[in-house]
Amino acid sequence: MAGINLLGILCNWSPFACFNAAGMAHLKMPPNCVFMRVMCIGRINQALILRAFEYGADGVILLECKDEDCRYGPGPEVGHSNVERVRKLLHLLGIGQKRLVERSFAAHEKSELVGALWEFSEQIQAMGSNPAKPRQEGESR
Amino acid sequence: MRLDDPRIKGIIRDRSLFMCQECGKCSASCPRMLSGKEYSPRLLSHKLITEPENESFIENSVWECLTCGLCEERCPSGVQVRQFIMEMRTLLAGTKGLKGYRSHDGALHSWMRLMTSPDLEQNRLDWLGPELQVAQSGPLAFFTGCAPYFDIFFSGIDVNTLSIVRDSIRLLNFLDIVPVILNGERCCGHDLLWTGDRENFETLCRLNYQEFQAAGVKEVVVSCPECYQVLNQFMPEVIPGMDLKVTLLLDLLRREVHKGGMRFKPLKRRATYQDPCRLGRSEGSCEMPRALMQMIPELALKEMKNSGRSAVCCGNNGFINCDAFSKRIQVERLQEAKATRADLLITACPKCMIHLTCAMRDPVRQGSLSMEIRDLVCVLADQIERSGEDRSIGSRRK
Repeated sequence: MAGINLLGILCNWSPFACFNAAGMAHLKMPPNCVFMRVMCIGRINQALILRAFEYGADGVILLECKDEDCRYGPGPEVGHSNVERVRKLLHLLGIGQKRLVERSFAAHEKSELVGALWEFSEQIQAMGSNPAKPRQEGESR
Repeated sequence: MRLDDPRIKGIIRDRSLFMCQECGKCSASCPRMLSGKEYSPRLLSHKLITEPENESFIENSVWECLTCGLCEERCPSGVQVRQFIMEMRTLLAGTKGLKGYRSHDGALHSWMRLMTSPDLEQNRLDWLGPELQVAQSGPLAFFTGCAPYFDIFFSGIDVNTLSIVRDSIRLLNFLDIVPVILNGERCCGHDLLWTGDRENFETLCRLNYQEFQAAGVKEVVVSCPECYQVLNQFMPEVIPGMDLKVTLLLDLLRREVHKGGMRFKPLKRRATYQDPCRLGRSEGSCEMPRALMQMIPELALKEMKNSGRSAVCCGNNGFINCDAFSKRIQVERLQEAKATRADLLITACPKCMIHLTCAMRDPVRQGSLSMEIRDLVCVLADQIERSGEDRSIGSRRK
């Protein structure tokens, strides 16, 4: 597992409830995944996903609510359209569109969430590390 | 870094800021100031010389400039404002980090920096159709720039910058040139350079030059004025002894048309022309695009109130600082275009196309500013034909 950096972006509502319940139930999670909790996946725009790859992520998974469960309305739809466009950009860049994954969960699906994380982790593991590793970081000097 | 740093003194001296007479013509012509923004090129140079301790004012001002060069055009003392701003940004970025509000949260700068990875194998040529003849290696290359990326990123406002690239290749094919199109080509680095990220800009330049050399390229044809400025003016600074000729597609076309044997089909439209800052004021090419347009029969070219070297910026540069003031510049520019009663706005830069199209889509204006916007290359490619025979340029993919 060494050398692979994964980022999971969790919506605060259903996916975080699953994540929390999975933690309470001591389900084992992939060890190399960093999680970031946001209020809604609709808050994540194309730039933030690209930024994760710029800063060295090998895979990014967006964990969101089911379309009809969004607490705010259009969150998951915004997520779908951003993922669609960023995947096309990742394809152009040669990073590979499969490095960006989007999964949705209802609030009780803790084992599904953990399963999806393991599946994602194994998939990225098989793909190896992200070929785009900018040598210098422009912004954090 | 302190602002009494000797490097700043060096920039002030090299860019002739000491020559400033404080006449204020720069600020009086600055589109950003005229749109109401608290930014003044005159005050910036005044404070930099007399009150260097006022760091926050100076830093904010340095990141506000559009680098459109209108102030430089008007300055009677020859202060090199654009170069000064670029060098100050590079210096401040190197010591205090990059600042300035990055439009779209910096997504464009992100993909530009991602392209600095040497091992990247892009898939940037999916748009190439069988109707376009291109080569893998040879003496002449066409530089496509960021068009494939723009079209995906800006699919929300429905711009088609790839049409410029396709039509450029159609034009080259029409002139019996089969250009090399490189899959490993990177962004030219214009936006990184002008937003102070010199380090990554230089990496992009070196990678691009390696690609050109590997394909045996001796001449690069460019259609985007920003790419042209970078490859022609700034790339030789990074690569000493650069052995590469850079040609603007419009210049090439004009030379070829003068040789004879081709003409333009009539286009019965009333058009106006937006001079891109990097083509008009930077390269001094205001006449050349107009001369090409005048070769098209029945095309009535109506000039906007501010045109040629006085043309107003499309509101944004290098994808930083897009805000309500940028919108105001764009709206006023589009109103100028509307006032000509033209139904076609011709420009020569994909960025002008993106920014003005975005302003046209403003829901508050309810479509009152919308008009057809096309790149000059596309207009010319559709009208050109060989004289003496009824054969026009190769067909466009449906």
